[in-house]
Amino acid sequence: MTLQQSALPTTVTATHPASRRDRSRLYQEIGMLAPAVILLTIFLIVPFLLSFWTAMTNQPLVPRPTPVRFIGFNNFLRILRDDLFWTSLWNVSRFTFWILPVQCGLAFATAMLLHQKLPFRNFFRGLFFLPAITSMVVVCVIWGTLFQYPTGPLNQVIGFLSGGSIQPIDWLGDPEWAMFSIVLLSAWQAYGFQMIIYLAGLQGIPDELYDAARIDGANAFQRFWHVTMPGLRPTHVFVLVITTIQAFKLYTQVAILTQGGPKSSTETVVHYMVRSGFEEQKLGHASAVSVILFLIVLVIALLQRQLLRRYDV
Amino acid sequence: MSDLVLSTAQVEVKPARSAIGSLRTVQTACILIVALVIVSPLLMLFVASLKDDRFQILADMGSFRAFWVSDPTLSNFQEVGNFSGQLAFGRYLVNSLIILASTVGFGLIVNSMAGFVLAWGSLRGRALILSLVIALYVIPQESIIMPLVIMVSRAGMTDTFAVQIVPWVASPLYIFLFYQFFAQLPKELFEAAQIDGASVFRIYRSIFLPLSLPALATVSILMGIEAWNQYLWPILVTQTDYARPIAVAIATFFGQDSIYWDRAMAASVLMMIPILVLYLAFQRWFVSSFVGSAVKG
Repeated sequence: MTLQQSALPTTVTATHPASRRDRSRLYQEIGMLAPAVILLTIFLIVPFLLSFWTAMTNQPLVPRPTPVRFIGFNNFLRILRDDLFWTSLWNVSRFTFWILPVQCGLAFATAMLLHQKLPFRNFFRGLFFLPAITSMVVVCVIWGTLFQYPTGPLNQVIGFLSGGSIQPIDWLGDPEWAMFSIVLLSAWQAYGFQMIIYLAGLQGIPDELYDAARIDGANAFQRFWHVTMPGLRPTHVFVLVITTIQAFKLYTQVAILTQGGPKSSTETVVHYMVRSGFEEQKLGHASAVSVILFLIVLVIALLQRQLLRRYDV
Repeated sequence: MSDLVLSTAQVEVKPARSAIGSLRTVQTACILIVALVIVSPLLMLFVASLKDDRFQILADMGSFRAFWVSDPTLSNFQEVGNFSGQLAFGRYLVNSLIILASTVGFGLIVNSMAGFVLAWGSLRGRALILSLVIALYVIPQESIIMPLVIMVSRAGMTDTFAVQIVPWVASPLYIFLFYQFFAQLPKELFEAAQIDGASVFRIYRSIFLPLSLPALATVSILMGIEAWNQYLWPILVTQTDYARPIAVAIATFFGQDSIYWDRAMAASVLMMIPILVLYLAFQRWFVSSFVGSAVKG
């Protein structure tokens, strides 16, 4: 009976042309989806799940004869007791605190300028995006020269503008300044993407709102404050959140220019992770850091959803 | 007195036009100033790469000579453009190009096919896969990199091109971008082709893909920039020159006692050119389409 039942649909598909086409369509769809699903599984889902497992073991980088042991939350406890971890978390927080106004402000200002109907607007849009396509390594070469102490271009310009009253700054060598220097070059490199997102937000505000405000006698500032700013609220949330997530992943520029120094003033979470994994060869420890990093990013992303829902986007 | 009234009256009549005019002047001036600040570091890089003397480069930096080269020379490029030896940046550049082209090429195919099926397929569980893909987007590359290194080294993939390409071909972000683009195309396109007896793959390849130039351009640029600028991953998985990308090679300048800025700058210019060409080629579609999808994404 059961045999018959299961046999029935197969015979139908074999003889009925429409069903055969359905089936071949299904195979095609599976075939088209498969490469992405397989790759994402192997290179994203599996390592992601593995990171939770590795975080609870004493896995070394180079395989040792002694078997890998499960050590529970010991890695996490060790990290939470490590001053350098807290320093790195504090540093990326400082970085975030500075990069948000500098980078988002620059992006917002340039987007406002380029949103106006000015000659060569598209040319300037292309030009202003150039730093964003510049590799971080190249950015480090450029800013490495700009930051030269004591006679680098940046110090010269500051000295000139202040009439020599401001002493040359050791941008990357002074623990007080090093992180702020990293902020400057990071903002210069990455603001272009946020600028484009702001341009999209500005285009999304209907012209009728501006016309209505003009008829009501609103001046340029009032139009900006009562039409542009409310219209951009979801864009602001989006830009602030992706900038914050980016900030917590800070690595390349620090690894190249300061290696976390001077005096750990530019040590970051990812740099701390890479160091513990590859210099100290404690992969379990490093994986625990990566789990913590993921949790931080997850919390920020969930916060964004909550905020965006409030502005119903 | 009446003169004064008259003149204020005149001013009252005029302002609309002259205020707009002066506003425009201020805006143009602002744009030019910002452009100068933003672009001058890049300009300085290009000019300095044409200078011979590395001490002179640094000495020139503080003045307007940073933007001027009296006797341009390509000697720096000759020095770093080699294909063998210590400064084999020609080779690293080719390595990077191979990685860029393969990642973008495979990425366009794999991600667009997946996005298409998620948008138009009849597969059950499509919605589930889509929400899973969106959820996966939250996972940062940095937090899977540790176990991934163990995986690829166990598989004997270190120091290969494949290890720098294959893991980054499929990406939740680009699957979603393609899904979003395909889903907004009219239903009639799909149905008409289906009635004509075209298979799903045929509809994808002959109808939807040719229509998705803006999406293809956007993903090419974003993926291209990403593949070109990879730094953390290649330093973990390349130990020899064989497949080392140019980003990692340039970074080695910083490990030296005194940095050869002339060579570093020529290598940097070499590194900028391909991505600049890619960007200029696709820019027309990029800005509008990225603008369209950015906020929703």
